[in-house]
Amino acid sequence: MKNTRLHTALLAAALTVGVGTAQADDFPSKPLTLVVGFGAGGSTDIQARVLANVLEEELGQPVNVVNQPGAGGGVALTRLTNSQDEGYTFAFGTSMTITYGPLATETAYQPDDFRYVAGVTLGQSAIVTGEGRPFGDSWESLIEYARENPGTSYATQTALDRMIIEYISQQEELDLRIVPTSGGAGMAPLILSGDVDFAYSGGTHSGYAESGEMPVLLSLAEDRLVAFPEAPTLREAGYDINPAEIRVVMVPQNTPDSHVERLAVALEAATQDERFIEITEERILMPVVYLPEEEVTETLRSQTESYKALLEELGGVPDADE
Amino acid sequence: MPELSAITSAFGDALTLHSIGIIFGGVLLGYLVGVIPGLNRSVAIAIAIPLTFYMSAYAAIAFLIGLSKGTAAGSAVSAILLNTPGEPSSAATCLDGYPMAKSGQPRKALKIGLLASVIGDLLSTLLLIVVVIPFASIALKFGPYELAAILIFALVFIAGMAGGSFLKGMAAGGMGVILGTVGLDPETGAMRFTFGYAELMEGVPILPLVIGTLALSEMFVQLDEYRRTKGGNSVRLGNNPDDDLSFSEFKKTLPTIFKSTGVGAFVGALPGLGPSVGSFMSYGLAKRGAKDPDSFGKGNPNGIAAAEAADNAVIPASYIPLFGLGIPGSVSAALLVGAFMIHGIQVGPLMLRDHPQMLFTLFAGMVIASLVMLAIGWYGLRLFAKVTDVPQHIVIPVVIFLCLAGIQVQGYGTFGLLVVFGFAIFGYFLKKFDYSFVTFLVAFIVTPMLEMNLRQSVILSGGDIGILLQRPIALFFVIATGLMVLHLMWSSYRLYRQRRRLLSS
Repeated sequence: MKNTRLHTALLAAALTVGVGTAQADDFPSKPLTLVVGFGAGGSTDIQARVLANVLEEELGQPVNVVNQPGAGGGVALTRLTNSQDEGYTFAFGTSMTITYGPLATETAYQPDDFRYVAGVTLGQSAIVTGEGRPFGDSWESLIEYARENPGTSYATQTALDRMIIEYISQQEELDLRIVPTSGGAGMAPLILSGDVDFAYSGGTHSGYAESGEMPVLLSLAEDRLVAFPEAPTLREAGYDINPAEIRVVMVPQNTPDSHVERLAVALEAATQDERFIEITEERILMPVVYLPEEEVTETLRSQTESYKALLEELGGVPDADE
Repeated sequence: MPELSAITSAFGDALTLHSIGIIFGGVLLGYLVGVIPGLNRSVAIAIAIPLTFYMSAYAAIAFLIGLSKGTAAGSAVSAILLNTPGEPSSAATCLDGYPMAKSGQPRKALKIGLLASVIGDLLSTLLLIVVVIPFASIALKFGPYELAAILIFALVFIAGMAGGSFLKGMAAGGMGVILGTVGLDPETGAMRFTFGYAELMEGVPILPLVIGTLALSEMFVQLDEYRRTKGGNSVRLGNNPDDDLSFSEFKKTLPTIFKSTGVGAFVGALPGLGPSVGSFMSYGLAKRGAKDPDSFGKGNPNGIAAAEAADNAVIPASYIPLFGLGIPGSVSAALLVGAFMIHGIQVGPLMLRDHPQMLFTLFAGMVIASLVMLAIGWYGLRLFAKVTDVPQHIVIPVVIFLCLAGIQVQGYGTFGLLVVFGFAIFGYFLKKFDYSFVTFLVAFIVTPMLEMNLRQSVILSGGDIGILLQRPIALFFVIATGLMVLHLMWSSYRLYRQRRRLLSS
């Protein structure tokens, strides 16, 4: 009799514990949504779709990819700030949207609105040119050429690279024609046809590494680019900016700790998954890393500060009409 | 030029069971839509786009192209049996098809219609494949100046050719351009016409716009008509042994079919004219060139063959400017651009470089679609004859349901529903007052591309118009646009004066 009661008590205790852990570990108990702030088919999207597949296995729930393009990833983040989804909706995007977006335009989000679960990839953005240009493929001779030829043209894709080029042209006293274009698909024809002298490239140049049709003038990453080791970084070229892009997974600030941790564990596993490594390092040619929440958050904060300082030096966000 | 191996492997990809299944589904659905009067091609494509979200990009486009082709062939059935064209472009088929069916030979009429459809479609598809590759390799070298000039030319051309008055066409195009500029400015990032809606930051969402203006508004128009006419009875397929098509009879229509395919392909390749112009033009030419023009309109097989071959030839040919330049010349091509965008592919000459495999597989799929069309039409003759009887009071509610469901599937929420209804009312009035639909839609679709290229041209040239002298292709199109505007204005002015004279006399 006593024994039975003990058993019942134990069973009850076990059940309570069981239910308790089930509640904490319950996440995720329904399908998740991975929001991508860029259009389908771009490099962020390509990567996100593989990441979703891998996370699906790690988390045991379907992960649906939803594209919400616009405002350089800003539209997706605006929507994410209002999410009460406790981590079931999370975004995969690039650090620029977080660090520079709120400085350049009036955004409905601020960097503090999110938790940065992890950084998973280092960007390889660059300033590129085409083949057979009068200034060849070195940054120094480009600067010399641009000084002698007012109206040398540059194609911009993001508010951040526009600021950097405005800063450089102020430092070097250049008179550039800055044309807007959208995405690598818009930039590539301009560079390849020779209509534009040099341009910003998020990652498209990596695909031309072998053919040499799109030489890199400057690396916009923290270090030199993997595929173009000859091109100097911004710092090496004498500009004190580090616009290194990190691809991060983020959730709204109100997300419970346990959910963030669960996602972080899954992401760390994903960065060791062969499929994710292959698509990232071989297809879009960017190195895979795993940067934990604290480190990413700190890096992003210091980038924001350095952009603020740069903007002060420039006297405000560069105006397109100048 | 592509290598032979690329082409054979493209056919290999298009010949998998899955791929043929998708094409079969598309053509069959298109055929049904074509047969049912009141359901037309643009309605069908608009509500089918959400269905394709869950397919791969290739499958989605192949499905939509199959659907588009199927409608052109299916529409002959109701034209012949019911004297009501399933698509406006089959109105010319009624002229001879219905009398022939009435006189006891419906099966023969249907078979002529089908064979003419398939041959017109197949030949025009082959023409597309042959023309588009060299065309796109030239277009790849175009810079912002050329593209801006060609886009402006195409818009003015469509406004002038799409029927109705030139001014109304320009007005419709202007509305498309204004709606196309909604969203973030590509250069400064400033908000334009968003009125505080974050949903509008990325522009007016294409799917609600398309479903509203094309599909839902069409249902409003149909409801309007349904109150007045309740539809007629269709001719039944009897068991008359005389009622079949013999090979020698078919052979006699072949010259007409070939000629009409040429007319249809020519009309199709020019943006904005559309299949109705093609089928009436080739019907007129066949009648004028015939030895017995009086027999036209009384059941002449050549009349059916002329109308149907041209009607079907227009569709593949209208994809020449689409794949060659990225400019949609028809409503169905404009819808395809939307479908491509949703699947992350920029349609146009860049496809040849970035997605050649996909482009060739699509072409292979289009050839297969022609053959599938023949099989479906041939063996489904009896079934489709029955489908013509589906009453409007069933079709309309089902389509309205599909329209709204399509919006919800894409996750636009209540905002999407507002947009859909807003555009449905807008589209209803466009139709009522005869504003060109194609011009509106094409203008909306190409505006972002036009704006970007125009701004790039202005900045790169430093605002110096003399740059055109170094850009002969751009210069040519700028001059051509100017001349066309003058010509169109002059001819509308003459028409206006003629009318006034008629009224006053």
